[in-house]
Amino acid sequence: MAKGRVLLRGVTKCFGAVDVIKGVDLEIAPGELTVFVGPSGCGKSTLLRLVSGLELPTGGSIMIGDRDVTLVHPSERGIAMVFQSYALYPHMSVAENMGFGLKIAGLPKPLIKEKVAKAAEILQLTPLLDRKPRALSGGQRQRVAIGRCIVREPEVFLFDEPLSNLDAALRGQMRVEIARLHAKLGATMIYVTHDQVEAMTLATRIVVLNAGRIEQIGAPIELYRHPANLFVAGFIGSPAMNFMDGIVEAVETNSVSVRLNGATLRLPRHDAAVKPGAKVTVGIRPEHFRVGPTPADMDDDQAVEFDAIIDLVERLGGETLAHLRMPSLSDGVLVVKISGDVPLRIGTGLRVGIRLAQCHLFDADGRAVGEPAARAVVAA
Amino acid sequence: MSLISTPRRDVAWIGRFSALLRYGVLIGVGLIMLYPLFWMVAASFKPNHEIFGSVSLWPQDPTMDGVVKGWRTGTEYSFATYLLNSFAFIMPKVVLTVVSSVLVAYGFARFRMPGKQLWFALMVATILLPKSVLLIPQYLMFREFGWLDTYLPLYVPCAFATDGFFVFMVVQFLRGIPPDMEEAAVIDGCNSLQVLWHVVVPVIMPAIISVALFQFMWSLNDFLYPLIYLSSVGKYPVALALKMAIDVTEATAWNQVLAMSTIALLPSLIVFFLAQKYFVEGITSGSVKG
Amino acid sequence: MYDNRVSGYLYIAPFLIGLATFTLFPFLASFLLSFSDYQLQDPVEQARFLGLGNYTQMAGDDTFHGSLGVTFLYVFITVPLKLAFALFIAFVLNFKLRGIGFFRTAYYVPSILGGSVAIAVLWRYVFAGDGLINQVLVWAGGEPLNWLGEPAYALFTVVLLRLWQFGSAMVVFLAGLQNIPTDLYEAATIDGAGKARIFFTITLPLLTPVIFFNFIMQIVQAFQEFNGPYIITGGGPLKSTYLLPLMIYEEAFKYFNVGYAAALSWVLFLIIALFTIIAFASAKYWVFYGNEREDGE
Ligand SMILES: Nc1ncnc2c1ncn2[C@@H]1O[C@H](COP(=O)(O)OP(=O)(O)O)[C@@H](O)[C@H]1O
Ligand SMILES: [Mg+2]
Repeated sequence: MAKGRVLLRGVTKCFGAVDVIKGVDLEIAPGELTVFVGPSGCGKSTLLRLVSGLELPTGGSIMIGDRDVTLVHPSERGIAMVFQSYALYPHMSVAENMGFGLKIAGLPKPLIKEKVAKAAEILQLTPLLDRKPRALSGGQRQRVAIGRCIVREPEVFLFDEPLSNLDAALRGQMRVEIARLHAKLGATMIYVTHDQVEAMTLATRIVVLNAGRIEQIGAPIELYRHPANLFVAGFIGSPAMNFMDGIVEAVETNSVSVRLNGATLRLPRHDAAVKPGAKVTVGIRPEHFRVGPTPADMDDDQAVEFDAIIDLVERLGGETLAHLRMPSLSDGVLVVKISGDVPLRIGTGLRVGIRLAQCHLFDADGRAVGEPAARAVVAA
Repeated sequence: MSLISTPRRDVAWIGRFSALLRYGVLIGVGLIMLYPLFWMVAASFKPNHEIFGSVSLWPQDPTMDGVVKGWRTGTEYSFATYLLNSFAFIMPKVVLTVVSSVLVAYGFARFRMPGKQLWFALMVATILLPKSVLLIPQYLMFREFGWLDTYLPLYVPCAFATDGFFVFMVVQFLRGIPPDMEEAAVIDGCNSLQVLWHVVVPVIMPAIISVALFQFMWSLNDFLYPLIYLSSVGKYPVALALKMAIDVTEATAWNQVLAMSTIALLPSLIVFFLAQKYFVEGITSGSVKG
Repeated sequence: MYDNRVSGYLYIAPFLIGLATFTLFPFLASFLLSFSDYQLQDPVEQARFLGLGNYTQMAGDDTFHGSLGVTFLYVFITVPLKLAFALFIAFVLNFKLRGIGFFRTAYYVPSILGGSVAIAVLWRYVFAGDGLINQVLVWAGGEPLNWLGEPAYALFTVVLLRLWQFGSAMVVFLAGLQNIPTDLYEAATIDGAGKARIFFTITLPLLTPVIFFNFIMQIVQAFQEFNGPYIITGGGPLKSTYLLPLMIYEEAFKYFNVGYAAALSWVLFLIIALFTIIAFASAKYWVFYGNEREDGE
């Protein structure tokens, strides 16, 4: 019934004295493509390897389907894994690589051949079946590694940074292929990456990890719109969210007033659990600034404008990143994303608008304040 | 160092001069290195008086006399017997060394276990332990076993990875290989022995060949152990036969002894030239890559 | 990688058994034997405890003193010369010259063959009265020398045999040299460093781990030299090539004084251990480990 479901309960892992995974609870529904994302060294690979059985947890339990697999051998968990280095067996041909698991399982040769042929068909590897891995390009090796998984017909596919050894163009292409494969097979997939763009584009759900803990779980758009804390807010989205320090001036039922460097922002918030005088952080994404005249559909209550001085301009072609000084908001430099190629000169002034509804608010502990707690379910 | 190419003429001239100097040194040293070997081979085909008589390499009066008599040896056995005797203990020695070194190195390189550091340190220490401090008790032990005048003392210890050098060599090689492939094999359903056989052994084949070749060469050169353990001439390996030859051959029959030496070196030379790169890889793996 | 400690121990079990049986047990046994008067032909039970008898005997044994002196002389001449020569040739070879592979092979061949009895036999003839060396000397207008019969020269022939095998040390040096990233040289050249400066500030420091490795290996090997003197000179003339391993062998297997031989072997062990410990202890002052790597297991 729950084929393809993955359930982690209180999973911890220590290497010697080092706690790498500090208690993870997670349920992954059948057919989901879940992405573990987080900075390097946060324990993504370790968590994936705990699911695979290559590492055994120090505490907690792991279920795949309806079985408790906490202590089950990796090959009997119904999983298959693609490694960052591909980990193809160099002395075996593509066909032998793909069929190795079945051979170890003792399947008859014709059956192995049939299954390998079928997987090769899906991945367009048929003409390469007799080659050795060293005679393949990076993208081809990657496909063989995936093929090796498909042949096993696993309940759960595991990917550990599968694209990070490829160049940018190929990475984009393989990303699409993996998404397509997921749609086609409908299998549960867990995908590890440190690249938040990969996470955003591929995932049904994203699990943001930091220092061995889950920071937030949610659909990509949900994480983008309603980051639960400073860490997720800073990690998801590129360029990263701007943060400004402030102090709460007043709390009302529907709003929180925050005094920044010069200005006071009255942010719409329901039932915000902060008190006047508390230190808070306000966040605004670079793409949520507006340069130029405020559109007519913005009523005054929601939009505010500030003066800015241009500190630096990075032109990316289709869009421009302006580093601006806005003394009324912050001492630091804020990054503003402007679509198109607006003429901007360093040192000159600028009027910049923001929508208060798009501002994020975090308390002194970095937790999101108020409204995001009542999150709407966002369809992916 | 001549890493940056210099198109200027004066510099190019200095470069050429230095290259010339280098070749001079290299050829001079090479000649000194190899001349004794050539002299030995040439002397095998010379009559004795010519060996003493001229510095020239090329035999003026070539003869197979030395080779034939040398092959017959002064004993009741021909040189073939001694060669076969050598192989009779070297082959098991090489096989046992390879098997035990790979198993132990795999254990050290790929398993977490308490006390591993200690055992590994002891293993490295045995490389530095002088063999003569073990020689006498080992002899007494094998005498108790009733193994004197058999080949057993020469190769049985190899089944227990007693040559730490080889274990160390394989461990170093394994450390250079990311364990991903082995993990993939675990997921493919292999137990650790299957991983070893299906994945690790093929991947570390160069190291395995190096171990086999070194053990082969060194065992051919083994002298002290056969000397104390073997007493019947019929069981002597080549090394002992040669030592015996210089003791029993008449003092003037140099061509016989040198012909025997030449033949004795042939297996090593052939193996070396067939598999040169494994020697270089083997000797450097323990020292540089570490 | 694998957490399964039971199978880990199963894999290293052969080593552990071998260590106990063929190394640790004999090691301790020879220690005990060194305090006994045990004779080779007797049953082991007849060994009598002598206390420090063997060691006091050593103190008054001129043969031992001579052997010890010759051993140190041999080691102190052979090891530095061999290392210096190996390093020098490695440098000469470490250039993009044509035919490097050929020379490397030519220099390496003696090392591969060198331990063999055949080469020692060859050496005996090369240095014999009518041998190759004297023929060359006469041909060049010099006087033939009594290489093997003259105590002053005999050790020299053994030293030369081992020097002749500088190849394996050279190959290790060469690999070490080739491991030094070329951009370091290029950076130093751009910084204006001359060749000598580059050698002393870049090449040599980065090569110290390899020098250390070779030094340890050569010291340990040299103290154990047996084949050369045994076959070329038999320890003579006048015990001028009677190295300690030779004396240990003869005491045990020729004179059957196993107790005394065991004591000698322990002295040799302690000497080697001392040198090794000094080398390792001093390493932190002169061996440069640039890219030290965590053992990520
Ligand atoms: N086998 C191991 N032994 C000790 N520490 C480990 C081991 N594997 C991973 N770690 C440590 O655990 C932390 C998380 O590693 P990992 O899961 O690989 O991070 P990442 O999120 O980059 O994939 C790192 O600090 C790493 O050093
Ligand atoms: Mg990782």
